Amino acid sequence: MIDNSSEFRVKRGLGLTMMIALLVFAAIPTVWVLILSFRSPIAIFEPIWESPTALTFDNFFKITRSDFPGALMNSFLTAGLSTVFAMLVGVPAGFALAKARVTGKFLASWVLLLLRMAPPVGFVIPLFLLYVNAGLIDTYIGLVFAYMTLTLPLVTWSMWNSFAQVPDELIEAAIMDDANLPKAFLLIALPAARPGAVAAAILAFLVAWNDFFYALIITRSGTATAPVAVMNFISYDSVDWASIAVASIALTLPILPLMAIANRYIVQSLSGAVKG
Amino acid sequence: MTQLASPRRGATYELQRGYRLMMVPAILAVGIFAIVPLIGMFGLAFSDYHLIRGTSWEFGFRNFAKMLSDKRLMNSIYVMASLSFFGVAAQVIIGSAIAVGLQKITGKWRVGRVLFLLPYAVPHVAVALIWLSLFTPTLSPINAFFDLFGITVPAFLTSQSGAIFAIVVADTWTNFPFAMLIIMAALQGISPDLEEAAAIDGATRIKTFIFITLPLLAPALLMVTLFRFIDSLKHFPMIFVMTKGGPGRSTQATNYYAYVQTFGNENVAYGAAIAVMLFLMAALIAYYVAKLNQRVTT
Repeated sequence: MIDNSSEFRVKRGLGLTMMIALLVFAAIPTVWVLILSFRSPIAIFEPIWESPTALTFDNFFKITRSDFPGALMNSFLTAGLSTVFAMLVGVPAGFALAKARVTGKFLASWVLLLLRMAPPVGFVIPLFLLYVNAGLIDTYIGLVFAYMTLTLPLVTWSMWNSFAQVPDELIEAAIMDDANLPKAFLLIALPAARPGAVAAAILAFLVAWNDFFYALIITRSGTATAPVAVMNFISYDSVDWASIAVASIALTLPILPLMAIANRYIVQSLSGAVKG
Repeated sequence: MTQLASPRRGATYELQRGYRLMMVPAILAVGIFAIVPLIGMFGLAFSDYHLIRGTSWEFGFRNFAKMLSDKRLMNSIYVMASLSFFGVAAQVIIGSAIAVGLQKITGKWRVGRVLFLLPYAVPHVAVALIWLSLFTPTLSPINAFFDLFGITVPAFLTSQSGAIFAIVVADTWTNFPFAMLIIMAALQGISPDLEEAAAIDGATRIKTFIFITLPLLAPALLMVTLFRFIDSLKHFPMIFVMTKGGPGRSTQATNYYAYVQTFGNENVAYGAAIAVMLFLMAALIAYYVAKLNQRVTT
């Protein structure tokens, strides 16, 4: 039964208009940043349709001479290290939490979730005082430790969920076959939960990569990460919009492939919690 | 199961001990990296620690008493509630609308999904800077476009409600894809038979959506709303970049206000007390989410 009444066509038209409007909302800032990054400084405050050819590559070269590339490296280093550490500690813990028969599992899940959800300002205040006294302000190790408060609960929590989906029988069978626990973990459980582990690592990296707050408080010029360094393009009397656009692109591009891989797992890990 | 395991009780004991050993590094790390700062936060909240003056080592409830009569704190809660309510509502509604709309789009046009997902990949500082440029009247192409028709777009960042609106727009832009992703997954889990059956029984499309699809989406909608709500309590980069808490102090959401009290006014103890209040709110929500998740992990 094909519905071709005029009422239906009006409704479909409305739906289509709405989708296009939402697409414009989603796309305008992206297109705008691309334009801005190629805009030559003299034309930056003119609408693009008045001087559509005033474009240049200079903005990209200019930013390589600033301290922003160094800040990008700082971001890679600290986000990468805090992810590696969180995986080393959090993956075995997630496995044990999923399979061990221990009391206090609910408490553990509450604490892990809470650490993920609590506003960071509460952690930052005592960390800042501690770091000032311990000389850890503006050090890589200080920032990596701070990011562990974000990445470790995230990794442990999501690996717990991933390992919960690996059948207990698989592990028990391996142990019956005289494999010890570390072997069963490394050779049986971990390969079975590999997609979850990849997703956990990516999510942890993204959380650290996107962080602005911790870096703002505990870094100075030496170890400033890219999200903090981009603020240097705003000075008291002027704003370097073109460089900001280039920096925004540089901040986003490295994580696009990671997002493409992780999207599927973000959905899976969350809809796991949705199934009643 | 127990019969199988009983001759090897020693082995089972060994196994459980092994599991516990695997948890030790994580327990230590969480203890050092998270629990120690938390204890510090609570300790500071009851102290009178000042960044310059230090502390007299007298502990009490004075910070919490001060909170009750602090008008700036009340304003910050109002700002936080506005940002949370409008932001989460917009994200859930827009995300769901796109998810439902994309469901009907098949074939090569499905690639268009990427366009809707892209905003989710942009780091929040960049999101804030991009929208700051779009809300800067002298720069914004939106203002220039409406100028062509003689319409002057108001400067949003100069009033409280306008600035809250601007932050909600930026927050919605980057986070609606999260809602969209989850709702899309939930929609795929709904059997088309149900909707067909309803259509055969004579239900209109809208009725089918309200009485069949929506109730089946409810758990996903709840989860998205909860996760986005929790995140919205942490608003920081967008306020810091777009408004600096202004105009005046009008967009200092509670999280931002705690930062201002601590690092701007150097009143560390009071900042920590506000952080404790936010922490307790998060603890309540986390408890609820952990309860929801318990059914999955155990």
